[in-house]
Amino acid sequence: MSDLNVIKTGLNFEAIWILARREIYEFWRNKTRLISSIVQGILFLFVFSSALQTSSSSVLINGVSVDPRAYAASGIAAIVILFTGIFGGMGVMRDKMFGFMKELIVAPVSRRTLMLGKTLGVALQTLIQVFIIVILGVIFGYFGYNLILILKIILILPVALLASIGIVGLGLTISTRMRDFQSFGLIQTFIVMPMFLVSGAFYVISGPLGIVAMFNPFTYSVDLFRAVLVGASFFPIWLDFLIVGAFGTILILLGARSFNTMEVK
Amino acid sequence: MSENIVEVKGLTKIYEQGNVLAVDDISFEIRKGEIFALLGPNGAGKTTTISILSTILNPTKGTATINSFDVQKDPGQVRKSIGIVFQEPSLDGEMKGQENLELHAILYKMPKSQRKEKINEVLNLVDLQDKADTFVKNYSGGMKRRLEIARGLLQSPKMLFLDEPTLGLDPQTRHKIWEKIRELNRDLGITILITTHYMEEADELADRICIMDHGKIIALDTSDNLKKQISGDIIDIKFDNIDDRMKIMDFVSQIRELSSIKNISFGHSMASSDAMFTNLNLPKNMPNINPEMIKAQMRDMMSDPKKLLTALKRFPMASQMLLNAPFEVKKRIADLFTDDLLDQVPDGIKQEIIKIKKGEISEDQKDSETEISISCEHGGTCLSDVIRKVDESNLTIKTVNVHEPKLEDVFLHFVGSEIREETSNTTKDIKNRIQMRQLTK
Repeated sequence: MSDLNVIKTGLNFEAIWILARREIYEFWRNKTRLISSIVQGILFLFVFSSALQTSSSSVLINGVSVDPRAYAASGIAAIVILFTGIFGGMGVMRDKMFGFMKELIVAPVSRRTLMLGKTLGVALQTLIQVFIIVILGVIFGYFGYNLILILKIILILPVALLASIGIVGLGLTISTRMRDFQSFGLIQTFIVMPMFLVSGAFYVISGPLGIVAMFNPFTYSVDLFRAVLVGASFFPIWLDFLIVGAFGTILILLGARSFNTMEVK
Repeated sequence: MSENIVEVKGLTKIYEQGNVLAVDDISFEIRKGEIFALLGPNGAGKTTTISILSTILNPTKGTATINSFDVQKDPGQVRKSIGIVFQEPSLDGEMKGQENLELHAILYKMPKSQRKEKINEVLNLVDLQDKADTFVKNYSGGMKRRLEIARGLLQSPKMLFLDEPTLGLDPQTRHKIWEKIRELNRDLGITILITTHYMEEADELADRICIMDHGKIIALDTSDNLKKQISGDIIDIKFDNIDDRMKIMDFVSQIRELSSIKNISFGHSMASSDAMFTNLNLPKNMPNINPEMIKAQMRDMMSDPKKLLTALKRFPMASQMLLNAPFEVKKRIADLFTDDLLDQVPDGIKQEIIKIKKGEISEDQKDSETEISISCEHGGTCLSDVIRKVDESNLTIKTVNVHEPKLEDVFLHFVGSEIREETSNTTKDIKNRIQMRQLTK
């Protein structure tokens, strides 16, 4: 028998919602974080869009010619999920360090409730960030101006939510097992950067690296974003959905498992 | 309905990782409406006990019920019947005081209609109503503690667990918290379990005190009754510049024979180092093992260098134990090893032994200030006997102090020594191994 005495009752939806709300409050109240995420978005959009634009006047995706600025902007919108999702999931680490996790784990709710609350909160937080980037892209005119754009913006939100679940699950899995903040750099170098660089977010990946990219689950999230925002994708959309969905399911289950065995000193 | 709110029977906890025996077969009851204090040195098993009772950890053996719910079978009900204030702060600094309470209320499934009212009520109770909308990160230490107590009271618990509630607070804040605890107990009739290692805190607050050490309960009674157990007076003697520790041991064994003396315990450095070999007070903490057996084994080892060598090789902690041992013991061991045997001695202690042989190490003078406390029936008459013996033994006294027993003396009487950290590593290791072996048999 395990050391831990864990409650195995069902879900408490009100508790899930208050925990999610806590994440969003904290994001919203932290004005420096809010401003920095907007400024970072502007910076990324400008730098990567113009970099891609100078190297080629149009990008070919499966024979469809795409504006390089739109290509980069949709990639950046997806990348935001990776950064906010993983480090948001790492918020568990902060809660552990500051003792708040202890308050949560002795409450008469199941660990699944706690985990889902956290996941939902961070996922909604990434949604806000994605929305900011997409709106900035629209303002700069990267996606062109037409009425379908409104539909695209509405459609991107559920897609972003789906894509962020796997990433948040990854962040949760890592941070429930992590013991100190020192491992942050390690995560950055070995997980975030490779997933980010080999995903085709900023440039078209070809040759042997393209094979590597096919094994990066995040490639499919980026592709899905592009399919929605630009209207062209490297892989069939059903495959994108399948892989992003499977990745999300697996990691959320993994996250739930490590949450159940998490010890809080 | 039983009169006890908490019933613990044969509770044992062995941590799976590291094979640590944290709580060793304890049983006790807490009556409804009392303040019960768990007192003990660091690592005594207080926090583990509270963790099991608050259903964070599973016990290895034994049962515990709170409010007639079993902690293992019905953790959800137990959690609703208790409020907990942890040793370390567990608030979210990025939220307002009120929001921290609201989150707690939702987690504990409090109906929405009651929430607002109840939150105001507990905030009033701890005088924080005007700080409800302040971010918790801007609270002072005492305010945070009070908010945590308020949070613990939110679900109207039958019982409140306070794990070192006044740790690191200034005296005024401490008294304020004590006042609150007493109020809660008196006015709301909440049973309180408090762990602490502040003697005066337990003395001040608790109806009954349970002294724990090494995972065992070594005394459980009211503060007054505990003090009565060491009735009479206490004579504390501090010696000055002892050049030979053995002299003290001789002195102690001499006065032990005096009829009026009931008990002698060591303070400070004496117990931490000498206890290992000479003054085997240790067995009190190792109830499963016959003290004579250990003594015999040690004597046996000390007589034969070959046996000592195997022991040193087999248990790395044996060498550490040796390094911490008093000079007399080291000297005796050094004398045991002839030059040809010395080659086989593990490196760590080899250097030490060579140094001792060369006479480079002699007893550290700073260490030699020693304190003993003697409990006896009548301090006045006993003192003259003791002083006479001191003179006969050629010892110099630095200070003498005769007083009535305080709870601290009770504590020392049961627990043995004043400072724990130094000895704990080695002695605990050995103890754990031996106990572990016995348990797995």
